[in-house]
Amino acid sequence: MNALSRPPPAGVHTDWSETFPPKTLAALWALWTAFWLLMIGVAIEDQLRNPLTRWWEPILTEGSSALVSTGWMWLAVRVRGRRAPYLDKPLIWFASYLRWLPLVCITWITAVYAIRYGAYAAMGRTYEPQGSWGFVVVYESLKVTYNSGLWLGVLFGIDSYGQWQLQWRRLLQTQKALAEAQLARLQGQLQPHFLFNALNTVSALMHTDVARADRLVAALGDLLRISLRSNEHEMTPLAEELRTLELYAGIMIERFRDRVTVDWQIDQALLDIPVPALLLQPLLENVFKHGVEPTVAHVRIIIGVRRESGSLEIVISNSGPLLAPEHRDGVGFRNCRERLGIIYGDTASLRVCNEDDGVAARVLIPLMDAVQ
Amino acid sequence: MIRAVIADDEAPAREKLERWVAEQPDMTVVGSAEDGLSAAQCIEQLRPDVTFLDIQMPTLSGLQVAAQLEPSSAPLIVFVTAFDEHAVQAFDLNAIDYLLKPFDQDRFARTVQRVRERLDAHESGATAVAVGRARAPACERLLVPDGERLQLIDAVSIEWLEADDNYVHVHTAARSYLLRRTLQDLLSQLGEQHFVRIHKSAAVNLGAIGSLTPLFKGDYEIHLHNGRVLRLSRRYREALFTRMGQ
Repeated sequence: MNALSRPPPAGVHTDWSETFPPKTLAALWALWTAFWLLMIGVAIEDQLRNPLTRWWEPILTEGSSALVSTGWMWLAVRVRGRRAPYLDKPLIWFASYLRWLPLVCITWITAVYAIRYGAYAAMGRTYEPQGSWGFVVVYESLKVTYNSGLWLGVLFGIDSYGQWQLQWRRLLQTQKALAEAQLARLQGQLQPHFLFNALNTVSALMHTDVARADRLVAALGDLLRISLRSNEHEMTPLAEELRTLELYAGIMIERFRDRVTVDWQIDQALLDIPVPALLLQPLLENVFKHGVEPTVAHVRIIIGVRRESGSLEIVISNSGPLLAPEHRDGVGFRNCRERLGIIYGDTASLRVCNEDDGVAARVLIPLMDAVQ
Repeated sequence: MIRAVIADDEAPAREKLERWVAEQPDMTVVGSAEDGLSAAQCIEQLRPDVTFLDIQMPTLSGLQVAAQLEPSSAPLIVFVTAFDEHAVQAFDLNAIDYLLKPFDQDRFARTVQRVRERLDAHESGATAVAVGRARAPACERLLVPDGERLQLIDAVSIEWLEADDNYVHVHTAARSYLLRRTLQDLLSQLGEQHFVRIHKSAAVNLGAIGSLTPLFKGDYEIHLHNGRVLRLSRRYREALFTRMGQ
C-alpha cells in the first residue's frame, strides 16, 4: 500500500474532515441506527415465536453486536478525512479500510462474545454459542466481512456525494472569483482615462515628432492586443509580463515625460519562469495613479526581479508620497492577491508597504522544482 | 489680443494647446502651469481673458482651481479632460465650454470661436466658477495670497472671517490673510458646514467658538478659544443657535 503513505496530490490545500458537509454524517448515523433497530426488532420477533428464550436474550445478542460494530464504525468515520483524497480511486480507498479487516474480525468476535458471556453470567446463566468455536469464528468473520463491505459502501457513497458537493461549490466560487477578477482587470486595464490620455499624447506628438508618435501608437496597439488576448487562466513567461510593463511604462513616460524615470533591475536568469498573465500591470498602474499623478515632484520607479530563498520576488517601488491606508487595499491589490491565492494557495504573497522614501509592492511566487 | 493661460500636468498635452492657441491670430499664451496651484497663481497674477484647465492635475484639480476664483473677475474657463463622466454631465448644461481629449483642430476652432463670442459679450467666468464649486462642494482648502505667492490653507484652520469693503480678512491662529473677495462669495465657497455668519461683516468657524455671553437687547458676545471677543448681532442669533444646537 505504498499509495497510502503518499501525501495527497499537490494543489489540495484542504482538511477534508472539517469541510465535509455535516448533513452527510447525520444521514450516515441515522441509517446506522435504523439498521440496528431493525436487527434488534427482527430478533425480538423471532424470540416471540420461541418460548425457550427470554425477552432480553435477543436484545443482548444484537445489542452486543451493535455496540462493538458502532465502535469500529465510529473509528472508520473518524479517519475518513485522511482517506478523502482517494475517493476518486475506489480500489485504494476500500483497500485502505479492508486491510484492517482481520483485526476487526478478531476483536469483534472477542469483544462481542465476552459481553455475552459476562451478561449471561451476571443473570446467573450460561451462554451457549450456536456451534463449535471453529464454526463461530468462521461464521462471525463472514458476517463481519459482509457487513463491513456493506457499510464501507454506504460510507463511500455518502463521502463521494459530499466531496462532489464540496468540489462543485468550490468550482462555483472559483468561477465567480475569476469572473470578478477578470471584470476588475478589464476595468482597470482598459481604463478609459488611460486610453484617452494616451491618444491625446499621440495627437500632440504627431505635430512635432511623427516617428515618436508612430512608436507610441505601436506600443498602445501592442498593449491593447496583450490585454485583449490574455485570460485569467493563462500563465506567461516572466519576460512577456515584463514586456507588458515596458509597453505600459513607455506610454506613461511619454505622457509624464520629465516627471518620472523607470529603472529595471532584472535577474536575466529568471526570465523564463511562468507567472500569471497581466498580474503586474495593475501594480504599475497603481504607482502612476497614486505615486506619479498627484505630485509635481520627480518620481523614480524601480522594477526589480530576483530570486529570494526559493521564491521569485518581483518588487515595484516608487519614490514619493506614502500610500494612504485606504489605497493599500484597493481593487488592484485585492485582485492580484486573489489570483495569487487561486493559483498558488498560501505559498505566494503580495505585500504593499510604505518604505523610507516611497512605496513598494512585493510579489513572492514560489519557484517550481524544474527551475530551482 | 486674447490673453490665455494653459494648465496641464502632461507636457505633450500642454504643448499641443500652447501651440494651437499661439497659432490663432488674435490669441497669445501669457502663462503655462503644470499643476493646479501654479495655475491659480498664474490666473491671479496675469489676469488672463481665458484659461484652459486640465481637470486631473496635482495639488488642485481644474475644478478646484475654478472653485477658488472670484466669480466676477474670473477669466472664461475651458475645461479640458480625458474622461470624466460626471464633469461632462455638468458641462452638458452648456454652462461653459469644454474640450474632450483627444480633440482635433476643428473642435478646438469651435471652442475658440465661442471664447471670442463670449468675450465680445463681456461675459466672465462666473458660470465656470459655479460649476467648479458645485462639483467640489465642501472646499476643504482655501487659496490665499502670501506675499507674491499663493498658498493653500485648511478651511478648518480658519477661525473667523472679517469683511472689509471688497476685501475679506481671513484669520487663522497663526496669522491673517487679505483676500480680494466678498464675504458672501467666500462663504458660498467654503460651504456652510463649518462657517456661520454672526454679523453683517463677520463669520465664524463653529469649532473656534468657546463661549457666549449675553449683552443688552439680545446681542451676544462670542468668546473664541484664542481669547478674541466678537459681537453676535440679533439678526444672525437664531441661525447661530440652531447650528450650535445641532
